[in-house]
Amino acid sequence: MARQSFWSGLVVMVFAALCLTWIIPNYAGVNPLAQMPPDLVPNIASWIMLLSAGVVVIKSIMEMVEKRESPVNLEIDWRAFGWAAWPFVYIAAAIFVLSHVKLTYAGAPIIALMLILLGERRWYILLGCSVVPVVLLYVLSVYMMRVGVV
Amino acid sequence: MDFSIVGSAIGETLQFDALFGIAGGVFLGYIIGVIPGLSRSVAIAIAIPMTFYMSPLIAISFLIGLSKGTAAGSAVSAILLNAPGEASSAATSLDGYPMAKSGKPRTALQVGLLASVIGDILATTILIFVAIPFARVALLFGPYEMAAILAFALVFIAGLSGGDIFKGLAAGALGVLLGTIGLDNQTGLPRLTFGYTQLMDGMPLIAVAIGTLALSEMFVQSEKLRYERETMAVKLENHKGDRITFPILRKIFPTILRGTGVGTFVGALPGLGPSVGSWMSYGMAKRASRTPEQFGKGAPEGVAASESADNAVIPAALIPLFGLGIPGNVSAALLIGAFAIHGITVGPLLLRDEPELLYSIFAGMIVASIFMLILGWFGLMVFAQITRVPPHVVIPIVIFFCLAGMLLQGYGAFGLIILIAFAALGYLMKKYDYSFVTFLVAFIITPMLELNLRQSIILSRGNWEVLLGRPIALFFIACTLLAFIILAKRTIERKKPIAEIGD
Amino acid sequence: MTSRKYLVAASALALSAVVAGPVVADEWPERPVTMVIGFAPGGSTDIQGRVLANVMEDYLGQPVNVVNEPGAGSAVAFTNLANAEPDGYRFLFGGTTALTFTPIITDVEYEIDDFEYLAALALGQNALVTSAEQPFETFDEIIEYGRENPMTYAQQTALDQAIIERVAEAEGLDLAIVPTGGGGGMAPLVLGQEVDFAYSGGTHAQYTPTGEMVIAAFLSAERSPFYPDVPTLMELGYDYSIEDWRAIIVPQGVPEDVKDRLMEAAEFASQDERFIETTEGNTFFPVVYYDQEQMEDNVRRVRAATEEVMAD
Repeated sequence: MARQSFWSGLVVMVFAALCLTWIIPNYAGVNPLAQMPPDLVPNIASWIMLLSAGVVVIKSIMEMVEKRESPVNLEIDWRAFGWAAWPFVYIAAAIFVLSHVKLTYAGAPIIALMLILLGERRWYILLGCSVVPVVLLYVLSVYMMRVGVV
Repeated sequence: MDFSIVGSAIGETLQFDALFGIAGGVFLGYIIGVIPGLSRSVAIAIAIPMTFYMSPLIAISFLIGLSKGTAAGSAVSAILLNAPGEASSAATSLDGYPMAKSGKPRTALQVGLLASVIGDILATTILIFVAIPFARVALLFGPYEMAAILAFALVFIAGLSGGDIFKGLAAGALGVLLGTIGLDNQTGLPRLTFGYTQLMDGMPLIAVAIGTLALSEMFVQSEKLRYERETMAVKLENHKGDRITFPILRKIFPTILRGTGVGTFVGALPGLGPSVGSWMSYGMAKRASRTPEQFGKGAPEGVAASESADNAVIPAALIPLFGLGIPGNVSAALLIGAFAIHGITVGPLLLRDEPELLYSIFAGMIVASIFMLILGWFGLMVFAQITRVPPHVVIPIVIFFCLAGMLLQGYGAFGLIILIAFAALGYLMKKYDYSFVTFLVAFIITPMLELNLRQSIILSRGNWEVLLGRPIALFFIACTLLAFIILAKRTIERKKPIAEIGD
Repeated sequence: MTSRKYLVAASALALSAVVAGPVVADEWPERPVTMVIGFAPGGSTDIQGRVLANVMEDYLGQPVNVVNEPGAGSAVAFTNLANAEPDGYRFLFGGTTALTFTPIITDVEYEIDDFEYLAALALGQNALVTSAEQPFETFDEIIEYGRENPMTYAQQTALDQAIIERVAEAEGLDLAIVPTGGGGGMAPLVLGQEVDFAYSGGTHAQYTPTGEMVIAAFLSAERSPFYPDVPTLMELGYDYSIEDWRAIIVPQGVPEDVKDRLMEAAEFASQDERFIETTEGNTFFPVVYYDQEQMEDNVRRVRAATEEVMAD
C-alpha cells in the first residue's frame, strides 16, 4: 500500500507542478483588471494538490523505511495488468469505431464481442444481449427522442 | 385557498387520461432511471417532444411523474450494481451496495424507495402549503449567502471522505481544477480549453458523472471477474430476514425527516441542485448517527438520507419556480420550456390566473408519489431479478448504455473520449484510494462557488463590512470555519477517519 | 451477423416510415431531415425550434428531427455544421450572435463565410432590465441615479459589457459589473435587488407580465412590438446596438433547389399559426420573414459593427 501511495502521490505532484509551471500560465488566460483573475482558482487548486500529494509521498516514504520496503517492485504481474487494461483498450477501440459508424449499427457487435471476451459462449445469450439494447436505443432515439439514429 | 377550486382541480387530476399520463411518466422515468448512463436529463429530453401531443395538464403531470420516476429508479442501479445513474444517487450506493452484497438487496431497495416516497410527499406538501407565499425568502439568498453556503458544502462534504485525508484533499483539488475549465465568466475568454470549442462550457458534467460513477465501476468489476467470478454477484436469495422491518423503519425515520429538510432547503435555493442535497444529507446523517462507523459498510440510514434528500429536491425546486418564476435547478428549467410549449408562463401569475391548473398540478404530484410507491414496490420484485443476471453479462450492456447516454445528448465522439478519460481517472482513483466522491463534489460545486464569490467581491467593491448586514452569510461562514476546524483537528490528531467511504 | 440482420430490419423500418409519410414525389427531401439546436432542451431557441420542426415537417413531407448540440453558446453546433455534408439534410436553427460576435473574442474553427443564411424567422430580444422596486424605471432615470450613486450591472456577454462600459464612461457613472451564469442567474440578482440593472437576452418575458421586472431600454435596433413604449438605446442617443436573428443556417455549398425548398418551408412556417403562437405568445420573440439576400447583408453588417465596438 505504501508503495502505491508513493507512486500515485508522485504522479499527482508531477501533474500539479506541470499545471503550475506550464499549463496554467499558458492556457488559463490573464485579466489584470479582474478582482479575481482567471488563473487564481486553478493555481490555488494546483498548490493544494502539490502540497497534499507531497504529504502523501512523505508519509509513504516514512512507512516504507519503517517496513524496509523497496519503492520499486520489479515483479509486475503482467497477466493481472493485462486483465485490468484490456477493457479500456477495447472501449477505446470501440470509441474509435464509433467516430465513423453510428452506435446503433456498431453497438451489437461491440456488446457481443465483449461478451465473448468475458467468456460467454451460449449463442442465445450473445444474440439477445446484443440485439435487445440496440433495438431499445433505436426506439428511444428515433421514435421517442426524435433525434434520428445516433 | 378556495376549496371549490381545489375540489374541481383534484377531480380533474383524477380523470383517467391525467392518471394515465402520470402513471406513464413515472413508469418511463423509472425505467430510464434504472439504466445506468441514461439520466434525468435524457428522460426529460425524451419527454419534451412527446408532450407536444398531450394536453397541458397531462403533459405536465407526465413530466413531473417522469422526473420523480428517474430519481427513484436511479437508486436501483446504485444499490444493485454500484453504478449510480447520476451524481445525486452516488451517495446512495455508498451504503446501498454494501447492503446488497451482504445479502440484503431487497431491504436496501425498500429503504431507498420508502425514503424516496416519504421525502417526496413531505416536500410536495411543504411546496403546496407553506412555500409559495414564502418563496420570496429565496431572494434573501444573494451571491454572498450562496458563496458561503457553497463553501460550507464543499468543506463539509470533503470532510466526509474516508481513507487518507491528504489523498482526499488532492482529489478535491483536482475536481476544483477541472471545474474551472471553460469560458471565464467575466471576460468570456477561454480558460484551460486548449483550443477545443467543445470545452468552452466546461467539462460536460454528464460525461464526468457517467465516467467516474458508472463506467469506471464497470471496469473495476470486469477486473474483479478474474479473481472472484463466482462470489461477486449480488445474490438474491429468499432470505426471511431480507425485508424492511419495523425496527429499521424506526431507525431510519428521523434520517428521512432530516433528509427531507435538507433537500427542501437546497432545492428551494436556485442553483444548488440535487447532488449537493443528497451529499449534505448523507453527511449530516453520519454526523448525527450514534454508530457512524457503520456508514459506508451498509447502514440503512445512509441510503435513507441520500434518497430522501434527492427526491425532496425535485418538488422543492418548484418552490422558486411557482413562487418567483426562477427555476431551482436544471430539470425545473426544462419544465419551464415544457410549460411554454403549452402556452403557460410559469411563475406567480399562475396562482392568480389559473389556480385550477396549479392545484391540478399539485394533486398530480401527490398522485405521482403514490404511483411511484406502487410501481416501485412491484418493480423491486422485477428489478431485483437483475441480480440473477451474472455480472459478465451486465458489464457490456451497462457500458453500451453509458456510451448511448452520451450520444443521445448530442456530445458526439468528443463526448465519448471525455467519458473514457474520466472512466480511467475514476478507476485509478478507486484503485489507489483517492476519494472520487470528493473529486466529483468539488467538480460540481466549483463553478457555482467561483461565480458567486466573484459576484460578491465585485458587488461589495472589496468592502468586507458589507457582510455585517448579511446575517445568513455570516452564519454559513461560521459553519464553514467550524467544519474546517473539525477537519483540521481530525487531520492533526491522525485519528482514523470515522468510517471509510467508498471501496 | 446480428448487426446485418439488424441493418435489414432497420432499413425496413425506415422504409415503412418513408412510405407512410405524405410524400411529395421526387422532391427533396427523400429522407428525414435534421434540425440542429445549439442549446440544451428547454430554452427559448429549443422551444421555437421544436415547433418550427413540426411545421416544416408538414411542408416537407418528411420527419424533421431536432438534435440538441449544446455548448459555448452554439459555437459547438456551428463548428460541427461547418464540417457537415452540404446536402441540406442538416441545418441549424438559432441566433446569429455566435457568428457576429463569438469569433471576434475566441478562436473558433468557423467563419461567417462558411455558412449561408437562408431565412430569419424571429427577432432576438436584447434588453436592459431593472426591478420594479428600484427607485428608477427608465434608462434616463438610471443614468440620473448613477450620477449621484455608485451602481451595479449584471452582464451576460462581453458584448453587452463593452457597450455598457462605454455608456458608463460617457456619462461618468461609477459602475461595478458582475458576471452572471446566463438568464437564469440574472433573474434572482435583479429581483433580489442585488444589482441595479442587468442585461437580458429574452428572460425578461417571464417577469414583465407580473410587473416584477421593468425594461429600461432595448439594445436592439428597433423597438419591440410587445413593449412599444420602451425606447432603444439608439433612440436615447447612444450609438450601440445588439442585433440578433433566429435564422435557418446551412453550410456553404448546398444545391440551389434544396435551398429553395428550405426557404419555402421557412416562409410557410413564418405564416403558420402554431409557430407564431408559440414564438410570440410564449417566448415573446416577434416573428418575421427575412429572405437570404437580406440576411447575408444583415449578418455581415452586424459583424462589422460589433468588431468596431470590441476593437478597443
